[in-house]
Amino acid sequence: MTDVPHPLAAGRPALPRGRRLPLPLLVLPAALFVLVIYLWPTLGLFRTAFNEVGPTGAMVEAWSLQTAREVFADSFTAELTLNSLWLSLVATALALALSYPVSLFLFRTRSRFRGLLAVVAIMPMLVSGVVRIFGWLAILGDRGLVNGIAQWLGLISTPMRLVFNWTGVTIGLAESIMPYMILALLAGFGRLDRTLEEAARSLGATPLRTFLRVTLPLSLPAIALAAGLGFVLSMSSYITPRLMGGGRIFVLATEIYEQATTNTNWPVAAVLAIYTLVLLLALAVVARLAARRLQR
Amino acid sequence: MSYLQLQGLAKHYGSFVAVDDVSLTVGRGEAVALLGPSGCGKTTTLRMLAGLIAPDGGTIRVDGADITGEPAHRRNMGYVFQSYALFPHLSVARNVGFGLEERRVPRAEAARRVEEALSMVRLGALGERRPRELSGGQQQRVALARALVVRPSVLLLDESLSNLDAKLRDAMRHEIRDIQRSLGITTLFVTHDQVEALTMCDRIAVMNRGRVEQVGAPEDVYERPATRFVADFVGRANILPATRGADGRIALWGTALPVAVPPAGEVDIFVRPQRIRLVPASEPVAEGVARVRGQVSHSVFIGDRIEVVVEGAGGQLSVEMPSGQRPPAEGMEVAAIWPVEDTLVFPREAP
Repeated sequence: MTDVPHPLAAGRPALPRGRRLPLPLLVLPAALFVLVIYLWPTLGLFRTAFNEVGPTGAMVEAWSLQTAREVFADSFTAELTLNSLWLSLVATALALALSYPVSLFLFRTRSRFRGLLAVVAIMPMLVSGVVRIFGWLAILGDRGLVNGIAQWLGLISTPMRLVFNWTGVTIGLAESIMPYMILALLAGFGRLDRTLEEAARSLGATPLRTFLRVTLPLSLPAIALAAGLGFVLSMSSYITPRLMGGGRIFVLATEIYEQATTNTNWPVAAVLAIYTLVLLLALAVVARLAARRLQR
Repeated sequence: MSYLQLQGLAKHYGSFVAVDDVSLTVGRGEAVALLGPSGCGKTTTLRMLAGLIAPDGGTIRVDGADITGEPAHRRNMGYVFQSYALFPHLSVARNVGFGLEERRVPRAEAARRVEEALSMVRLGALGERRPRELSGGQQQRVALARALVVRPSVLLLDESLSNLDAKLRDAMRHEIRDIQRSLGITTLFVTHDQVEALTMCDRIAVMNRGRVEQVGAPEDVYERPATRFVADFVGRANILPATRGADGRIALWGTALPVAVPPAGEVDIFVRPQRIRLVPASEPVAEGVARVRGQVSHSVFIGDRIEVVVEGAGGQLSVEMPSGQRPPAEGMEVAAIWPVEDTLVFPREAP
């Protein structure tokens, strides 16, 4: 390269520059959208969290940590946190156990219906959450399908309580996050190579040993990805805990809604919302570090 | 005598016949190449041997025992995959030790054997590396060590050199052959590369369309191909359509050929280009030499040899001469001559 510009060089960049939209301009619509729809309300939320609630229950403009202090002094917040974490953990574990075999099958099948099967697997995603939950109520309710069959078979005499409690919420939540986890697993299975399993078999490993020593370790990054996604979705899920819990199940998301709408206590709702957000971000960082170690 | 015995092996995929009817016996310690174009069923045959595919028919015997129905993990065969298939999440040493762990070999003995295997393939110092930190040739050696450390009854190599560059492939060819000989391990080697087959094996089985066309020593297969396909696939050959005169004798480019031919039917003459010599057109021919006349069309320099294309009354033929010699000038009238015993005659096939 020389410092003297080539006579033709000066005109060369003009063509792409003139023909193409500059990159910032391409990003602008999305950036504006995020700004208006997401960033602005979030900032508002932050602002609200510093407000106080007056004796009449009305919001008082302020810059104080009074509301936050009250929220975290309340033992109910700790209980909500544990409830949310535990529910998310169990629902994610359940959904993972069910999604993993399905994803592995979809990843491997050479069936010409593979595309169709994949759509069927993620179909629940396309159905409204409320509709899905009423489906579950019909299945799990006292006079529902499960209890009906169990009673008809003589396994039980009085109906099992499967809805409006933790069992129902866990089942509903696990089902609602499964499609996302299946997609995440499929995306994460990149390194899974059939030949590696054949190599293990030829080296004397039984099918079970092959799964434990090759398939499972190589799908750990996919599992971490799917579990992280499932957990985040569970933590922020509101409809399922609310409807399938029948108002008897208290988690962070339901409490935020309760405070914001029924109690119209916006500062408390804002504090809880930001608290949940921070909790999720912290968990995301931990999950990312774990995934990176597994990927090594 | 026959250690590994394949009898009438067959595999179909729907209406597609991958392996039609493969029978082959391999002696203990012998190295046999399955040579053929892609899609001829050689890899399918190898995979059936390893138990990775279930055959639709036929039997596989090792040392007299029928293992056709045995699952892959009980066959004790060492398989070296084309892609090497090293476990990316395990160190080189643990890759090599994989089969020993599965066989519950005591830890101390396993460690010793892994070390031996790695030093055999000259990778003694790299045990703690991950496979992706190794070069292609090193990965290939790890795969070989991993397959051999379990002392398999048969070593199966699937196009194992095709991912290496030409120089490295030459080196690995000798290395694998040396290891195979010194261990005396029965080996089946799948390849589409005839040089690999010719140099690495005691015998070659040439496959085409799911069948074995010919089995024999490299020289046999090269010099005395049993079928038209083998003559064409192994080595290079001029395929020259012969014409038959009213008296039943055949001629090439208008010149009578003193070779024995079947009494009827159209035939093609096969001559290897390096067996043909070019002489001045006027030179008289000796007894037992075939000759056709033509004109030098052009010549191509290919490094260690020169290919001269001669055009005659009935088409073209190519002649190879060692480089360093001066090729005849273009347009020169020449005679192409070769010993009659180097002529192969096969019935013409409908194209």
